[in-house]
Amino acid sequence: MRIAQNSWSYEDPRPDKIDVRQWSRRFRGFPDGLISNYQYFNDATWGIYLQPPATFMVYGSRELKRLKLDNSLAALRMWGFSFNESERLFRARQSGRHVIATMGDLGIVPTIVSAFKDCIPFYPDCTWWTPFFNESTVLLDTASELGVPEASCFVRAALAAFHKKAYFPLPEMIFASTGTSCDDYSSIMQLIENLGRELTWLEIPFRRLDRERYGNPGYEPRFEEYLVHEYRIVWDKMTARYGPTGLRELSRSIRQANRLRKLVAEIKSDVYQAAIAPLPALEMMVIEFGNLYGYGDIGEWTKIVEMIRDTVKERIGKNIGVLEPDAIPIAWVTPSADPYLLNLVEDMGMRIAETEYVINQAMVLIDETLKNPFHALARAFMQASLIGSTRSRVQRIISAIEQKKIRGVLITNMLGGSHCAMETRLIEKLLGGVPVLSIDVPAPFGITEQIRARLAAFVETITP
Amino acid sequence: MAAQLIGYACSYVPVELLALTGKRPYRLLHGTQEHIMASETYVRIDACPLVKSNIGFIMSNQQEFAAIVGSTGCDMARRLFDIIGEYCQIPTFVFDNPRTDRYQIYSDEIDWLIDELSKKFDIDLNSKRLAETIETWQGKRNLYSRVTEQQRNHPSRIASYDMFTLAGKYHQGLISDMSSPEENISDKPRVYLIGSAISYESIWLLELIEKYLRIVGDSVCGFSRFSEININGTDIDALKHGYYDQYGCFNKRPNTKFCEGLGEHLCDSDAQGIITFTLDYCDVYEFELNRIQNNFDMPMLRLRSDFSRQNLSQLKVRLEAFAELLNDRGHYAYRAE
Repeated sequence: MRIAQNSWSYEDPRPDKIDVRQWSRRFRGFPDGLISNYQYFNDATWGIYLQPPATFMVYGSRELKRLKLDNSLAALRMWGFSFNESERLFRARQSGRHVIATMGDLGIVPTIVSAFKDCIPFYPDCTWWTPFFNESTVLLDTASELGVPEASCFVRAALAAFHKKAYFPLPEMIFASTGTSCDDYSSIMQLIENLGRELTWLEIPFRRLDRERYGNPGYEPRFEEYLVHEYRIVWDKMTARYGPTGLRELSRSIRQANRLRKLVAEIKSDVYQAAIAPLPALEMMVIEFGNLYGYGDIGEWTKIVEMIRDTVKERIGKNIGVLEPDAIPIAWVTPSADPYLLNLVEDMGMRIAETEYVINQAMVLIDETLKNPFHALARAFMQASLIGSTRSRVQRIISAIEQKKIRGVLITNMLGGSHCAMETRLIEKLLGGVPVLSIDVPAPFGITEQIRARLAAFVETITP
Repeated sequence: MAAQLIGYACSYVPVELLALTGKRPYRLLHGTQEHIMASETYVRIDACPLVKSNIGFIMSNQQEFAAIVGSTGCDMARRLFDIIGEYCQIPTFVFDNPRTDRYQIYSDEIDWLIDELSKKFDIDLNSKRLAETIETWQGKRNLYSRVTEQQRNHPSRIASYDMFTLAGKYHQGLISDMSSPEENISDKPRVYLIGSAISYESIWLLELIEKYLRIVGDSVCGFSRFSEININGTDIDALKHGYYDQYGCFNKRPNTKFCEGLGEHLCDSDAQGIITFTLDYCDVYEFELNRIQNNFDMPMLRLRSDFSRQNLSQLKVRLEAFAELLNDRGHYAYRAE
């Protein structure tokens, strides 16, 4: 990637994974014009987010000192922007925007919220990474004090964040999706309501497939109707509070979401099929999760993802990348709450070539040809990872195995997480064509020699 | 020999519909170490012990089941059907049991279930047969409710393990064997039992509790929760409403109705303390315990179990201490404001 202006120019070095010290040294040489080029909310006064990752380490993300990050400008933008989210949400509140929490559905409700002027959706659910990035058990300990058992999903950090009122501004509205989904988060949302927050509950229906009877998409149409009803509730609540907006705005918001989804699909396809991995797995995970809501400024996030796409294409064109050409391709099922694991897996000689991060609903395109945009959103959500059978959830991984794209599968679990407990053995059976390693992601500081040894043994098993 | 049982796994499954198939409705409520061990081929160790044991039971008794019916009421129980579907030939029917207050979904899904059961078992839904079946099962629930009144008496006149045996007959579809238990009067400290589902094999736990205390009511799946279902009428709509309007599962969102119902039950029972029995990894219930303690401000003994008896001695000591505490406090019961 080369960027040139009248008075300065910048060019990416050869791809590599570098630590925060190396990033800080490189950053010193960045021209001011380059740094001020990138702003969230289009605000040049306080919206500049291009910073060396060490800044965020100082602010509390201590795990950065152990992580290796991609050395491209696009990746630096990505990290600066995503780490800046907390600040951005508080700024949004200060500048008169409306911060709305959307919880549990992972991918659709923010599209509706974004159709309303100055409304900024975000997912408190994503606080589950914070204890790991911060190398701190403060949020997990607080959740325990609030009655959450330790053997439950790390998403319990979201409850503690609500309690502490420090990690994001108190949302003006909260949409909480529950139903046919994981029990842990449903319980967390109930406890958030018990803290005195007002939640609007939405129902997530079951995807009961019967392809013989219903052809494609394979389920009874009424399940989409149920979702349309839920999305109307969101629309009506938003309208009552923030004034009416047209369905045209919703269609615009859908187009915006689709633009991002297409970009990410293109990047995933390019990265996973390239001879040499052009981007590390950690950055890829952040990119995938950006599809949920664009980290609080979907317009700027889309520009970042475009830059990442261009960087990836350039690297592929030059046949260069960040991993060895003989890195062993594997699939990753269920995201890791600890980002360090993604680094570790690559350090041990593997590369990620397919993922199932429980957010399929945020990856599929929303049908723009349907007259009723609510219907389009419902249809997209019916592709969600966790609302149907385990077989349907891992179908894409099964296909990747059949096409010999991957040599093994890594499943990362949370001890006590409802779907992890019930799905993992079945996934191991369904993906039986290749070796499968299932590990429990430990609490912060918990990655021990035992996990390293298991990963090393796994690599030996799948090495040709 | 043809399979005689139709299994089910949730309090929201209308048992009358299952009975109309001509098969014996059999609630999946197993909790043995043998079945739990057997299940760990199919699920991780951190799955709910009840779900694990049920998997083990089904796998080793496949020939007994003509079908199994469940709901999406809780995530682990819902996923049990995925396991059965992948490893067994038993037909399974899972309906969407909404977590939020969406009666229409429940109603549509019961219609779907009727349709599926009709195709599979040639259900006779003519109004007379349906009415008779509803009346028969409601009659048994009424019988049980009358017995619970004696259990709540001062002094309590029915032992909980006798109640549990009676409830077990209902849950196993042996309703013609249901009759009022013999009196067993006790003036031990009165406690109310809440928590995760309790298994058929857990009668030892109730016997142990009643060495020191008297259970005067419960809101537990597998025990007395079924008696909260009250069908006012003899048609499908009445059936749907009877099941939908039950006091509420702690899994519902928001679970206000569950908490309100619990408050009413506590008042009615005149209990002096609460015993909570939660299963390992039954997060949904475990998450609620602080709130229950805060709401009702009563002495509470928290028991956690994987259905094993490994901590039996410790359990005895804790129960004894709890009984002492309640005796020392004298009579103090929850009263709604």
